[in-house]
Amino acid sequence: MATNDLLKLEGICKTFPAVKALDNVSINIGPGEVRGLVGENGAGKSTLIKIITGAYTKDSGKMFFLGEEIKKNSPLVSKELGVFAVYQDVMVAPDLSVAENFFLGSQPSHAGIIKWGEMYKNANKFLENIGLEIDVKKSIKELSTAEREMIAIAKSLWYEPKLVIFDEPTAVLTRNETRILFNIIRNLKEKGIGIIYISHNLEEVFEICDTVTILKDGSLVGTYKTEELENVDKLIPLMVGREINEMYFRKGSEIGDEILRVEGLSGKKFDNISFNVRSGEIVGLFGLMGSGRTEIARTIFGVDKAESGKIFVKGKEIKITNPNTALSYGIGYLPEDRRKQGIFPQQDIDFNVNIINYDKAMNFGLINHKKAQKNTITFVNKLSIKIGSIFQLISELSGGNQQKVIIARWLSKNSDLLIFDEPTVGIDVGTKAEIYRLFNEILEEKKGIVLISSYLPEIMGLCDRIIVISNGKIAGEVKRKDFSEEYLLTLAMKYVIKNEKIKEAV
Amino acid sequence: MAIRKKKKIFAERNLLIILIIIWMFLAFATKGTFSSFSNITNLLRQSAINGVVAIGMTFIIITGGIDLSVGSVVGLSGMIYAILTSSRGDFQLPSFVAIAVALAISAVIGLVNGIAVHDGKVPAFIATLGMMTLVRGLIMYLSSGRMVTGVPLGFREFAVDTFLGIPALVWTWLIIAIVTAFILKYTKFGRNLYAIGSNVEAARLSGINIRINMYGFYSLAALLSGIGGLMLATRMAAGVPTGGQGYELDAIASVVIGGASLNGGVGTILGTVLGALIIQTIRNGGNLLGVDPFIMQIIIGAIIILAVFFDQYIKTREKGKGIKKLFKREA
Repeated sequence: MATNDLLKLEGICKTFPAVKALDNVSINIGPGEVRGLVGENGAGKSTLIKIITGAYTKDSGKMFFLGEEIKKNSPLVSKELGVFAVYQDVMVAPDLSVAENFFLGSQPSHAGIIKWGEMYKNANKFLENIGLEIDVKKSIKELSTAEREMIAIAKSLWYEPKLVIFDEPTAVLTRNETRILFNIIRNLKEKGIGIIYISHNLEEVFEICDTVTILKDGSLVGTYKTEELENVDKLIPLMVGREINEMYFRKGSEIGDEILRVEGLSGKKFDNISFNVRSGEIVGLFGLMGSGRTEIARTIFGVDKAESGKIFVKGKEIKITNPNTALSYGIGYLPEDRRKQGIFPQQDIDFNVNIINYDKAMNFGLINHKKAQKNTITFVNKLSIKIGSIFQLISELSGGNQQKVIIARWLSKNSDLLIFDEPTVGIDVGTKAEIYRLFNEILEEKKGIVLISSYLPEIMGLCDRIIVISNGKIAGEVKRKDFSEEYLLTLAMKYVIKNEKIKEAV
Repeated sequence: MAIRKKKKIFAERNLLIILIIIWMFLAFATKGTFSSFSNITNLLRQSAINGVVAIGMTFIIITGGIDLSVGSVVGLSGMIYAILTSSRGDFQLPSFVAIAVALAISAVIGLVNGIAVHDGKVPAFIATLGMMTLVRGLIMYLSSGRMVTGVPLGFREFAVDTFLGIPALVWTWLIIAIVTAFILKYTKFGRNLYAIGSNVEAARLSGINIRINMYGFYSLAALLSGIGGLMLATRMAAGVPTGGQGYELDAIASVVIGGASLNGGVGTILGTVLGALIIQTIRNGGNLLGVDPFIMQIIIGAIIILAVFFDQYIKTREKGKGIKKLFKREA
């Protein structure tokens, strides 16, 4: 039996200064098995993957691949063995074409001259085989984020791997692309390739995985067959160590006066958008990727220019020309891409919380750092952010804790209206539930929230109303009692042109 | 909540230790000549001008940019002062007017750099490379390529003035260092610098006005170069057409040795001050030891590379490990 395992790990331990990242973890994965790897942020998933790919060296324990012990692993060794990891942020050469990226380092050539025709033809054939329709002559930077991700996945398949590791592969994918990905995974499975699938989206894990390994605080909770677990509700307590009753918890909040009203707002990617937000309510902006919902938020916040339309704050018409004016009117925006638009990676947690809040800690025009640091500590405790010290660099924190720091930044700003753009992407269930609970606290302080999300359970679970955006236009406003996945998706599709409709079809 | 600052002073502490080691070595190797009061004040005086220019450069490097025009601005500022005050010239203006004009023009050059970089989207390297050449040309045109002498006596004496036994030039440097370090830590302008240098997109989405701040950083850097230019003019007792040539390289080296990252977001005034001192110490010490000046140049070049290499090496180590451990591991 043991020799049938593709990969076998025995008693793997790994300690970082002050942190035991992995404690006696053993797993084995057979050929053709799709193994889910789940756990909260910081549970040790990434560390385990990095040990398998050789990016980290284990402190103790044994690793076997196809029955043979791998004593000295390294990224090169694991590549030779046929282990490939597909990361969210994949390194590809953005200026080169799709085809060149596949062949990088081994371009078909004759006497040093590259055979372009052959290269394009082979790349094309390969993509068609796995069901992707992407022009191989396009350069990577012309592709959408989702397309790039698909290319990264395709690239790992190019090397005919034996074990493929997917780390949060669907975070930036549309539903249709997710389906293509799942088809690819099923394809690989049939070929006897082992798969490790990491995702915070537990529904997906149930859809695609045969077995699930659960990690918690660096230790193995166990490996289960997905049928045994039956559903997500049985999985979560194992992961979190406690039961989360009511993930999408909403206290009844009193709806008060209007905070924001948008009338006929038009911009580059959207047209004639009108809606309002009152204190004590969460208004959702739902739409497919590229529907223009993020652009609407960015325009309200003054990052992008409006072409026409009016914005009212508390009944008064205002002109927002840049984020600073939006801030002064009490509007806050938590951007979609935490890493690129949210954090200041070289700076510490204190800096990251206070950068927009120094006004509150000024003495005679100078920053009073003691006061500012107190503010940081208050919010770190309030949001139970797990850190060693507020002078730790934010880049050393896990994704979920980074997001909490950004939320702390905005809560501390005390804005009347907060726009959350995909606040929980890449964040574990435990932290998600905490963030949702925070929403209730924000509402209690007579504030309003705009929630942008493409994750239906989240947006349906939390919002009082949902504005559905389809191809830059409002397709409908849905009240909480009328929420249903089918209805919202139908509306989201309303103005999508036929061609794309087929592509995006659910 | 445990609050430890350990990480923050890490880089500067190492620099300070390195500086002290070099000083002790030189004091020993020169049998005390190096550590004599006159040599130390001389060393500080020699470091002062580069020290001031490097502080300006620190601002630009923290934005993630670079300013190659500082050397030319040093030359221009001194030249303008000399032309406006020279007893043989047409203007013969009072010193304070000439100083104001020289500094104002310096700041405007910085502003133009800022506009080119922020609004024109010209890479800082190119924009300031152009400005370096342009300004040097301007100096040559204004002075017809000749030295301008006859600056007021009071101005010339500033170079040799002392206060509490320390040269006025060194005081100038020290005060500028303290004020700028203060600005970086205790004003929003200073905090914005780190925000913009770390992640310009996040800074924009935090409501920071990138344009105004960038104009500010570049103007300030050029203004400090202008002050450096006046300091040079008082030492030379003249406006020199080639004044400040090559200063941008010493300034960049000081900032980088001081622990700043060319990727932006990281750097401190204290680091830069120590960096400037280290460079000048090696020059001064080499001189005293009679090292061939050409060999000196080779050594300084090597030290710049090694300093950054060493810094990177420490940073890539897993956190929490000090230098000692690093050596132990290699042994």
